Amino acid sequence: MKKLKYDVIVVGGRIGGSTASLFASKSDVDVLMIEKRQEIGSPVQCAEGVTYGAFETLEIEPSERYVRTRVKGAHIHAPDGRRISYEGGIAQGLIIDRKIFDKELAIESAKAGTDIMLKTSVKDLIIKDHKVCGVVAKHLGKTIEIHSDVVIGADGVESNMARYAGIEAYRDPKNIASCAQYELVGIDVDPEYLEFYFGSKIAPKGYLWIFPKGDGVANVGLGIRGTVDNAIDYLNRYVSKLDATPVELNIGGVPVSGPIEKTYTDGFLVVGDAAGQVDPITGGGIHTTISCARIAGEVAAESVKMEDSSAQFLKNYESKWRQDIGKTLDNSVKYRKMADKLNDKDMNALAEFIETQDIEAISKISVLKFVGKHPNLMKILTEIL
Amino acid sequence: MDIIQENCGYCGTCVCVCPENVIELEENGLIIKDRCTECGNCAIVCPLGALNPEG
Ligand SMILES: Cc1cc2nc3c(=O)[nH]c(=O)nc-3n(C[C@H](O)[C@H](O)[C@H](O)COP(=O)(O)OP(=O)(O)OC[C@H]3O[C@@H](n4cnc5c(N)ncnc54)[C@H](O)[C@@H]3O)c2cc1C
Ligand code: SF4
Ligand code: SF4
Repeated sequence: MKKLKYDVIVVGGRIGGSTASLFASKSDVDVLMIEKRQEIGSPVQCAEGVTYGAFETLEIEPSERYVRTRVKGAHIHAPDGRRISYEGGIAQGLIIDRKIFDKELAIESAKAGTDIMLKTSVKDLIIKDHKVCGVVAKHLGKTIEIHSDVVIGADGVESNMARYAGIEAYRDPKNIASCAQYELVGIDVDPEYLEFYFGSKIAPKGYLWIFPKGDGVANVGLGIRGTVDNAIDYLNRYVSKLDATPVELNIGGVPVSGPIEKTYTDGFLVVGDAAGQVDPITGGGIHTTISCARIAGEVAAESVKMEDSSAQFLKNYESKWRQDIGKTLDNSVKYRKMADKLNDKDMNALAEFIETQDIEAISKISVLKFVGKHPNLMKILTEIL
Repeated sequence: MDIIQENCGYCGTCVCVCPENVIELEENGLIIKDRCTECGNCAIVCPLGALNPEG
């Protein structure tokens, strides 16, 4: 029998929810995590690429139970077919089975003491004197009220919690990448490389990815913005040229606007996709969500111990995560806006330039000479600088 | 806004672009409440074309 009062309630039971609840429970407070689906980690809405850094933040060793491949680099394909190879840095990491990983993370959290409710949908927040102090949830037709000192919204792009708490979470459709992906069998790719394809025909204002899962299996998907055709139409066109067969279809949306303005209020914090804590260039949100959700869990626990869950105290969460990744995300928004302006010709020219340079030692003079020959690129650069 | 329920993959992408906050992803399907202003945002981002502005 679950209690009707907890120190911390976490809404959403995937990456953001399990990380926040894990670290709150580790700090010795009473935590409840509520997930509306009956199965944690399903359906998958992810290409399943993750950095080693995410595991360091979690203080967990990547397990062979969910690691499918280890990638050391990426091949980037320009619209004209030119290919650039890149090794290390953000192109290095693991391809995992999110379904298994997400559940393992929930298991870790449960072991640390978190209570979990499944097939329970949070319908509203309880707000008293402008302070969030619990949730109204529905489980198998029954409505229950559960009180808490702090509520953490980790409810993804389908987020309503932030809005219920009075935080502006509306997003312009221009800032949402609409994504579709097949897990394909019988695809001939290098298991140590990610593949990225750019171009207005393949994936306008986005890209197509192939993430290898080993054994001729790969996640082939794309994200696009502002098109008349749907993501699935673009994907089907691309996949029809391959001699491979799907075993799973995944869809979803990625916020590429950068983080929302404010991620806390009295008695409430918001993390992960719901807070826009996703890298706007890559669309990667696992490592950023984990970093922020850990901070959220720890700050929430601290606020319980200090008996102060006011916005004033919870603001610590926002200052800490901004200190951690705020700058990176802000820069990434800037670069994304720049990339939005590139047409296929610019991308081909850029690829040609990079192909002929030693990336580690590109000189200012060679860059100036290059943009001098490409007026559109020059214009974009001047606007940005 | 018309929902083609059999096309919907329950991803929730449409929820975050609705300025009226009238979309709800329920266990048994997507619901659009009657305050919809037909702005068309949700149809733009739906990966599967499950939302039909003509409706
Ligand atoms: C196609 C695609 C590919 C991607 N590929 C990558 C990648 O390769 N690498 C990477 O780093 N990132 C990737 N991302 C981004 C990454 O998946 C997300 O940033 C990350 O999963 C966000 O986690 P989250 O916990 O914030 O939200 P979510 O994973 O969306 O979890 C939210 C949870 O909350 C639950 N919930 C929602 N509302 C309620 C409610 N009212 N009551 C109870 N529970 C509720 C949902 O059921 C869900 O389980 C990709 C995204 C997409 C769409
Ligand atoms: S058309 Fe606009 S108001 Fe209506 S449901 Fe879609 S996003 Fe919301
Ligand atoms: S975006 Fe489309 S597929 Fe996803 S929940 Fe909304 S209507 Fe369904």
